[in-house]
Amino acid sequence: MDSLAAIKTVADMKIGESAVITTVGDDCIDIHCHCLRLMELGFTPGQEVTLVAKSPFKDPLAVSVRGTVIALRRNEAECIKI
Amino acid sequence: MSDQTEKNSASCHGEQSVALEEHNPVIALVGVPNSGKTTLFNSLTGSNFKTSNYPGATVEYSAGNLISKIGFKSYVIDTPGIVSLNASSPDEEVTINGLFNHYKYGIPDIIISTADCTQLSRQLFLVKQLIDAGLNVIVAVTMNDLLENKGLELDSEKLSGLLGCPVIKVNSRKSVGIVELGLEAKKMFEDSLLTNFQAKVSRPKHPDENSIAKLYDFTEETERAVIRSKSKEIDIQAINEKIFKNINRKPDANSLKLDKFFLHPVWGMVIFVIAMGLIFTSIFWLARPIMDLIDSGFSNLSEAVSLILPQHTWYNDLITKGIIKGFGSVMTFLPQIVILFIYLGLLEDSGYLSRAAMLIDKPLSKFGLNGRSFVPMISGYACAIPAIMAARTIPNRRERYLTIMIIPLMSCSARVPVYALLLAFLVPPDKPWLAGLGLGALYLFSLISGSLVAAVISKFKKSDEKSTFMLELPAYRKPVLRHILKNAYHKSSVYVKQAGPIIVFISLILWALTYFPDIHPDISKDRTNGLNEQQIERLTESDRLNHSYAAKLGGIFEPVLKPLGWDWRIGVSLISAFAAREVFVSSMAITFSITDADDNDENLQKSMLTSMREAKQFGTDKPLFTIASTLALIIYFVFAMQCLSTVAVARKETGSWRIPLLQIVVYTTMAYVLSLITYNGLRLIGVS
Repeated sequence: MDSLAAIKTVADMKIGESAVITTVGDDCIDIHCHCLRLMELGFTPGQEVTLVAKSPFKDPLAVSVRGTVIALRRNEAECIKI
Repeated sequence: MSDQTEKNSASCHGEQSVALEEHNPVIALVGVPNSGKTTLFNSLTGSNFKTSNYPGATVEYSAGNLISKIGFKSYVIDTPGIVSLNASSPDEEVTINGLFNHYKYGIPDIIISTADCTQLSRQLFLVKQLIDAGLNVIVAVTMNDLLENKGLELDSEKLSGLLGCPVIKVNSRKSVGIVELGLEAKKMFEDSLLTNFQAKVSRPKHPDENSIAKLYDFTEETERAVIRSKSKEIDIQAINEKIFKNINRKPDANSLKLDKFFLHPVWGMVIFVIAMGLIFTSIFWLARPIMDLIDSGFSNLSEAVSLILPQHTWYNDLITKGIIKGFGSVMTFLPQIVILFIYLGLLEDSGYLSRAAMLIDKPLSKFGLNGRSFVPMISGYACAIPAIMAARTIPNRRERYLTIMIIPLMSCSARVPVYALLLAFLVPPDKPWLAGLGLGALYLFSLISGSLVAAVISKFKKSDEKSTFMLELPAYRKPVLRHILKNAYHKSSVYVKQAGPIIVFISLILWALTYFPDIHPDISKDRTNGLNEQQIERLTESDRLNHSYAAKLGGIFEPVLKPLGWDWRIGVSLISAFAAREVFVSSMAITFSITDADDNDENLQKSMLTSMREAKQFGTDKPLFTIASTLALIIYFVFAMQCLSTVAVARKETGSWRIPLLQIVVYTTMAYVLSLITYNGLRLIGVS
C-alpha cells in the first residue's frame, strides 16, 4: 500500500492541474488493461496532460492531451502514471 | 443487398484484384473520429450517396460518386473512424480489413486520410501507418481555421516532403480545396496504373509500446517542423517553439470555456437533464401535427380509392384496408424519426453528444451498459428500429447486445395511442391531467424496468471482454444544417426500407385473417332500427370480424387470456398490434363495434370508452373492462415484445436469432406474468 501510494496517476489529478506522463501501464494490476490503446490515443510518456473536467460522479474524467480532450474512465486513467 | 454477398477467399492481394469485377477507381476516406472525414465525404460526393453494411457485420459505410466537376469518374467510400490500424473492437477489425481486403473492391486505389491540424501529432499517427502499409495516400488537412484562430498555420509543402505524399488543405464547409483534392486523386490514380502498388501493400503487425512511441516520435517531430506562426515577419525559431509549446498542445480555447459549463459537476448535469427533456418533449409536439396530417391523408386516400373500385369486392378491401393502411402505418412514424435524426445530427455535429455520453456513463455502467448506450436508449422512445441501428457505435459487443436487448422496453411512440385510450378509461373525466401524469409515470417506469433487466442480465452473464470508455470530446463547432438534413433524410429512408416491408406484410396477413372466410352477415331489422347507413356498415363490419379467422384465432387464445380478465376481442386486437402497437386502438374500435360514425377523434374515443364500459365478460353481466383488467393491459404493453419489425431489425443488427428470440420469450413471458399478477393482485386487495 505504501509503495503504491507514492505513484500518482491521472486519476489523482485535480481539475485544471497539468502534469507530464512518466509511464503508461507498466505495472498494471489488471491484465485486460487497454494500455496500448491509451498510447495510440496519444497518451505517451513525456506528453503533458491536463485534467479538464470530472463528470458529476467523478468518473469518467476529461483529460486533454496533444491538443484534444479525451474522456476516460477512472480505472483507465489509473494506468497513466504522472 | 444480395449482390454484395460475393465471397472472396483469395488470400493473396494480387490474385484477388484480378478476381474482382471491373469497377470505377475507388477512393476510401480514412481518418480518426472527429477529424472532419464525414463532412469532407459530403463535399466530395455532393448529394448522392448510399450506406451499406460490410457483409456479415453491422459496420456501416457510406459510398457515393465523386462530384462530376472534377472529371474523375470514381467511387468514394467513407469508412468509420479509426484510431490506428490496430483494431480494438470487432467493428474496427471489420473496418481495417476493408482497407486491405475490401469484399467488393479489394485494396482501394486511393486513400484520402483526413488530419485535423490542431492535433497533428495524434492524427499523423494513423496517416503514417497508412503510408507505411504501402497504400496510396493523400492527406487532407482539416480544421485549418481553428489553427489560424491560434495564430498558427501549417506548411503543407513541407509536410508533403516529410511524409512523402501529397498534402492538401481543405475546408469542406467553404468548399476550399475539394477540387484540388479530387484532381490530386486523379493524378495519383493515373500514375499508379503503371505500378502494381497493391502487391506491396501489407497490413502492419500488432504494435508494442516501443513501436507506438517510435511512431509518435516521428509525428511530433513532423508537427514541430510544419506548424509555424502565421505572421511571417517574427517567425523566429525560438519564438515558434515557445508558441508551439504553449498554444498548439492546448485544446480549442472556446471549447474549454464552454466545457466549464457543460461538464460542470452540477450545472453540467442540470443542462443535460433540461436539454434532454426539451428534445424529448419537442419530438412529440413537433411531430404530432405532421403525423395527424399523414394519418388523415391516408384515410382520405383509402376512402377515395374505395369509392372508385367496385364496392364489396375482396380486392377493394385488400387495397384500401390492407395495402393503403399498411403503408399508412409505416409513414405515420416517419415525422418522429426524421425529427429525432435531425436532433441527433445537431447534437453530434456540435460536439455535445460525446459530452452527454460522458456525463451518463457512470450511472449506465452500473447496469452493465455504457455511456455510448445513451443515444440508442433515448432514440428508443421514438422508435426501436432506428434505436437498434444507433447501437452500432458501441465498440464493446456485449454492451451493444445488452443495449439492443433492452431497447424494446423503452416506451416507443407507438405505445402512446394505446396508453392514451386505456388511461382515458381509468381516469375520471373531470381529472384529465391524471392521464398526463400516468403517461409520464409510464415513461419513467419503462426506463427503470429497462435498467433493471440490463442489470439482471449483466449479473447472470459475466464477460471477459473488458468494458472501456475512451471517447474524444471534439471541439464545439457550428453544425452544418445542410449535411444534417441530408443525413436525416438518408437514415430515415433506411428505416422505411427496413421496417416498411415488414409492417406492410404483416398488415396484409392481418387483413386476410380479418377478411376471410368472407361471410356476409345478415343483419336483422331490429338491430338496425334508428341507425344511419354508416352505422349499419360498422355493425356489419363487426359481425364479419366476429366470424373471421382472426376471431377464431382469438378464441384459441381465450383460455390463456381469461386469467388476465380479457376475452377474445382483446386477443384479436393484441394479435393485430403485432403490425404496430398503435393498431391495437383501431382494432379495438372494430372488435367492439363502435357505431358512432363521426370521424372526429374525440367522438371516436368517447364512443370507444362507452363501448368499453358496456362490454360484458364471458356471457355474464360483469363488466369486461375493470380497473384491474385495464391496468393489466397497460402492464402488458409496457413489457410485451409486440413489434415484429423490431424483431427483424434486431436479427439483422446482431447477426443471429439469439437476441430477438430471447426478447420475444423473455418479454412476452414477463408481460404475461406481470399482467397476471397485476390483475389478480388488484382483485385480491378488493380493486376489481
